Amino acid sequence: MNILDVLDKNLVKVPLMHTDKRGIINELVEVIAKAKGYSTQQFEQILDAVLNRESLGSTGIGNGIAIPHAKTDVVKQVVMVVGISRFPVDFDSPDGQKSRIFFLVLAPSKQASAHVELLASIARTCTSQVFRRMLEQARDSEEVVRLFME
Amino acid sequence: MGVPFKQIVVYLDGSESSMTAIMYGIKLAKEHDAKLTAVYVINTKALSELVKAGIFVAVERDEYQKDLQQDADRYLKHAARLASQKEVDIETVKLEGTVHIVVKELLKAQKADLFVLGGITDIRSRREELASETDRMMRTSPCPVLVVRDDDDIWLEFEA
Repeated sequence: MNILDVLDKNLVKVPLMHTDKRGIINELVEVIAKAKGYSTQQFEQILDAVLNRESLGSTGIGNGIAIPHAKTDVVKQVVMVVGISRFPVDFDSPDGQKSRIFFLVLAPSKQASAHVELLASIARTCTSQVFRRMLEQARDSEEVVRLFME
Repeated sequence: MGVPFKQIVVYLDGSESSMTAIMYGIKLAKEHDAKLTAVYVINTKALSELVKAGIFVAVERDEYQKDLQQDADRYLKHAARLASQKEVDIETVKLEGTVHIVVKELLKAQKADLFVLGGITDIRSRREELASETDRMMRTSPCPVLVVRDDDDIWLEFEA
């Protein structure tokens, strides 16, 4: 499992509108809930799972990237939402750098392997500073998808 | 060189295409009266990468380690069930580490004469080509490799 297996133009939002950590997480969860037609209750379940994980330690990993993630059986397959913010957002990253690139990853509880592989694929892909810069400058979801496909 | 095949190893990763591969492997083993092994690798390299990148905290790593073990057990049990349906003996092997490295070691140790896998997709990006474990397994296999396309006909034929 890698990024391209789950990359979906409908699950990419550019730009994100919120400027704080909680708002960004909320907005990313809204993208998946809207795309999949989830109920308010399902939206809340996903949000709770992501915030619970976040309470263990921030998923801001540095270099302007944050990867909020959680296990939730609301989703039937591993899914990923990509969001790019025009404004740097404080995500409590260890390097103190604010984030502009966000990946929300959700996985059913019985798909640990796919979940781990996808997170590792995101980490690998985003090691390139040039790639991160291009993502930050992407104008719309089509451009984000195109960058990953190159 | 073993022709017809005497020692077949099938790689499982939980994907639908790897399930197709095990079905194909079971049928091949039956037809050739070959010894069949199904291998699942717990990708501890990916887990280490996540801890190193700061994506996983310690408690999460431990939890996922357990989840990965359960994934492995579930898929290997499923492979054993499928083999039993066709009255084929199967050895299931659970390994940990970097996938293509531990699989290569197993193929050598088992003196495999055929390695069966699914999960080959079209190369969609240069980046993907460099990171694909499946691609690496194919390139580093010490024995001939059979790539099984994820084909509905194989499922239908197996279940018939």
